[in-house]
Amino acid sequence: MRIIRKTRWFILLLGLISCRTAAHAQDVVLVANSDMQISSISEADVRAIFMGTKTRLEGGAHAVPVTLKGGSVHEVFLKHHLGETPDEFRTQWRKAVFTGQGAMPRAFDSEAALIEYVAATPGALGYVSRVSPHDNVKCIPIIK
Amino acid sequence: MSRRMRFVVLVCVCTSSLYAQDLAGIAIHGFVTQGFLFSSHNNYLTAQSGSGSLQWTDGAISVSDSLTDSLRVGIQLHMYQLGQLGGPNIQVDWASGDYRLNDRFGIRAGKVKTVIGLFNDSQDVDTLFLWTLLPQCSYPLDNKSFYLAHTGGDVYGDLPLGNRAGSLRYDGYAGQVTFDLNGGYLKALVDEGFVFTTAPGGKSYGGDVRWMTPLRGLTVGSSATVETVAGSAPGVSVLVPSFLKKEYYAQFAKGKFYFAGEYDRSPANAFVTFGPVTIPVPQDLRSWFAMASYRMTKNLHVGSYYSHYVNKALDTVLPANYSKDFVLSGRSDFNSYFYGKIEAHFLHGTAVGYYESTNLRGLKPNSTMLAAKIGFSF
Repeated sequence: MRIIRKTRWFILLLGLISCRTAAHAQDVVLVANSDMQISSISEADVRAIFMGTKTRLEGGAHAVPVTLKGGSVHEVFLKHHLGETPDEFRTQWRKAVFTGQGAMPRAFDSEAALIEYVAATPGALGYVSRVSPHDNVKCIPIIK
Repeated sequence: MSRRMRFVVLVCVCTSSLYAQDLAGIAIHGFVTQGFLFSSHNNYLTAQSGSGSLQWTDGAISVSDSLTDSLRVGIQLHMYQLGQLGGPNIQVDWASGDYRLNDRFGIRAGKVKTVIGLFNDSQDVDTLFLWTLLPQCSYPLDNKSFYLAHTGGDVYGDLPLGNRAGSLRYDGYAGQVTFDLNGGYLKALVDEGFVFTTAPGGKSYGGDVRWMTPLRGLTVGSSATVETVAGSAPGVSVLVPSFLKKEYYAQFAKGKFYFAGEYDRSPANAFVTFGPVTIPVPQDLRSWFAMASYRMTKNLHVGSYYSHYVNKALDTVLPANYSKDFVLSGRSDFNSYFYGKIEAHFLHGTAVGYYESTNLRGLKPNSTMLAAKIGFSF
């Protein structure tokens, strides 16, 4: 009986872990420095900013895209909002770097580090999972 | 084991501990590659490829910093060895200041990579490509330095055309270009007994306009450049009067598929003077390629291309005046930093990539070649 109970708990734990790591588009939110004067952003602008072809937001404010180094939130954001795989995204930026046409966005190991940077950097724009605490930054809805 | 090989092995072993460095805003990136060429009949690209050659090493390191929101400065140092070309000398690949006033207009000045065609500015960055060798008819590895960068300035920007029309990206430049003293053009003249101690070069200006169409992944564009070249060595002078080189290209990426094609024409008639005698060297160079690739898995990428070159100013039946290359290629990314490539070439004609001094028994019109590379980038 104890073994069955333990197995149930183990299965439940596995389920929770898989739900936590298999992120979906709706589980990822765009976060911005709280001084940023925008209430929403178009998907085309998100793509242009994170691919380096747009450096300023409506109104002229400078945009500083930042990314996660990897993980499911990173993959989901790139796939759903940029239409790129992590490899394609990295290749595009390496092209900009090695031809002298751009500087790769700062990348963070953890969502907490990314949020800390976004909160402290005017114009910074990043993404985290919806469940991550993001009190000091502003969530920006992406409009299709 | 040569010093070059030891360096490559060391870098590969250290892949797990090396990352792109960002020291208080200063970004440092780099790459290193080691290639292998093995060909039948002819030696290719000045390497002893007929017996298998590892004389193909590339490495670069770039340092850049954003001084303000609009101003970025950087430099990239590059070293290459390809057969008898290149050498241990470190060259400045690019070194520029980049002031981006807004998204529609920016200025770059210094030594700047030249944006023409699909791959000109990135042709020496191996990590970006599936191909071990880019189409040599359009991007000859032995002569890459001449078109790769100019010393001067660029204006560039992105012009949005509205939600339904995509955007237009432009780049215009003017500056000075020079031959590489250790590159292929001068190697061919050295083979004839003429040693240049000062690199020939000249003024160059041009531009590139590419339309990022509303169909995501589809880009079409065109480039035009005007070049002039003059130079002299003891006993000889070379002059290529102003000529216009034009390129047209398109690429389409959708899911795991990628397609691209490019056509260019370069009527670069040259004059070589020996004392009182001037010999015209007529050239009407036309080249094109078509390529397709498919990403089979996250780490495995395969593809094929056909590359074609002909000098229409000469007898196009002679193998020395044309080059045709059919290629099958594969690339595996072992992790985010480290990759390997392998490629089969079926070559017809000898107009591109061959030198008399490394083919003393004469050139055969057809040959096959295996090209392979390992590379590391961070």
